[in-house]
Amino acid sequence: MIRLICPFCGPRELREFEFHKTRAEPGSTPYAQVYERVNRLDDSVEHWQHVQGCRAWMLVRRNPSTGLVLETRILGGDHP
Amino acid sequence: MKGPSPRYSALALLRARFAGGGFWRPLWTGRRLQGAYDVVVVGAGGHGLATAFHLARDHGLKVAVLEKRLVGYGNVGRNTTIVRSNYLLPENHYFYEDSLRRWETLSKDLNYNVMYSPRGVADLLLSDGDMIDAARRGNAMRLAGIDCELMDRAALDRFCPELVASRDRRFPIVGALVQRRGGSVRHDAVAWGYARAATALGVDIIEDCDVTGVRTAAGIATGVETSRGYVQANRIVFATAGHTGVIGTMLDMTLPIETHLLQAMVTEPIKPLLNTVLVYVHPAHGETYVLQSDKGGLVMGGHLDGFPSYTRDGQWTRMEDVVQGAIALLPQVAGVKIVRQWAGTNDMTMDGSPIIDRLRYDNVFVNAGWCYGGFKTIPASGAACAQLVASGTAPDLIKAYKLSRFETGHLLDERGGGPFPVRL
Repeated sequence: MIRLICPFCGPRELREFEFHKTRAEPGSTPYAQVYERVNRLDDSVEHWQHVQGCRAWMLVRRNPSTGLVLETRILGGDHP
Repeated sequence: MKGPSPRYSALALLRARFAGGGFWRPLWTGRRLQGAYDVVVVGAGGHGLATAFHLARDHGLKVAVLEKRLVGYGNVGRNTTIVRSNYLLPENHYFYEDSLRRWETLSKDLNYNVMYSPRGVADLLLSDGDMIDAARRGNAMRLAGIDCELMDRAALDRFCPELVASRDRRFPIVGALVQRRGGSVRHDAVAWGYARAATALGVDIIEDCDVTGVRTAAGIATGVETSRGYVQANRIVFATAGHTGVIGTMLDMTLPIETHLLQAMVTEPIKPLLNTVLVYVHPAHGETYVLQSDKGGLVMGGHLDGFPSYTRDGQWTRMEDVVQGAIALLPQVAGVKIVRQWAGTNDMTMDGSPIIDRLRYDNVFVNAGWCYGGFKTIPASGAACAQLVASGTAPDLIKAYKLSRFETGHLLDERGGGPFPVRL
């Protein structure tokens, strides 16, 4: 994985982005949202921020075993 | 001629001289998987092998170690070989100190030279704030009876003269917190030494054996499903560094663990240059730690890659950070070439401290969450984890490493960074 596609700025180098955490399962407790992490070999849904760009928060779906980015979209609105 | 590896001694050398070929045996033999064991340990890395060794030696149990790939394929063969016990929190520094004491005698205990080299570990400090922080940590260590020295720049120059070249820099190093008994241990020898010693005690080490599930009955685990069939076990220990989160998912649990990559790299061999281990954390470069291996290569590592991954490849940007830091410290090595680079998967817990506890079932245990510091704790973790598994009660040294501490709020956040492993 060497770059991500920001929904606003388009494809940018990975070092512009910062990983925050994996998305908590919907309906999880506050404890789980702070401390627990979803660990699956082939699928990871994560919160990232374009810290050295437009600073948008994004939802990134990746395969952590291959490094393939499956989906990038803006976080907010009706997205959890 | 079959049989276990002979005990190493001067006499054995002499006998081998006259015994001809075949005197020396493989360190661990390819044993057959049996149907039932007292304890099945999953993962033949440092922690798994050390746990198995102590279960067999101290508690006399029948043990199998199941390994998906090869002995020492994971982080025990991928780390930067640094050992130290310079921690701030009492729960940590007593445990890590126990480990450092065990390193001092491990070669004798295993009858295998693990090349413990107490060359010192120097945490380099860059500001008055760093000095104050280090003094606090150093005082905490010394109150616990652990050696350390707070050095100013002049003392540091005497301790590590190679750093003189980095003197006139924009962000000069003002001092260091040095632990002289810290240093380096040959990492592969640790895996091989434990595997050999465990095999000699009758432990079955089974490579190429993938554990795919845990079978349960009446609320306790009864055995593991593997790629080589079902194995019955009274107790199960998971020592699967880097993949413990996935083990949690296999057991329908969500653990306070993220898997991150940590890179390391080594340069071409050069003549003896660096007599200690340097640890350098700087906002401009990230993190770099560097030492010189006995072969002469400079072994370097840095901070995590920054996001969950199982690829074991490593990002170019992080490699760049590490090299920049190394050149800032030792400008004289700027022309030396890097010959190998690799990465390992790390269990990053949400407070940076390990977890040695039961996992969901009363007879399933986990030895995990070693973050980027698991190598140095292998001897202590093996002994303590074996005691927990054999007796059912955690010894005092690991009482704090409970999984429930995240819920009860008894975190061991050495770094004070909160539940975000990537932040320095």
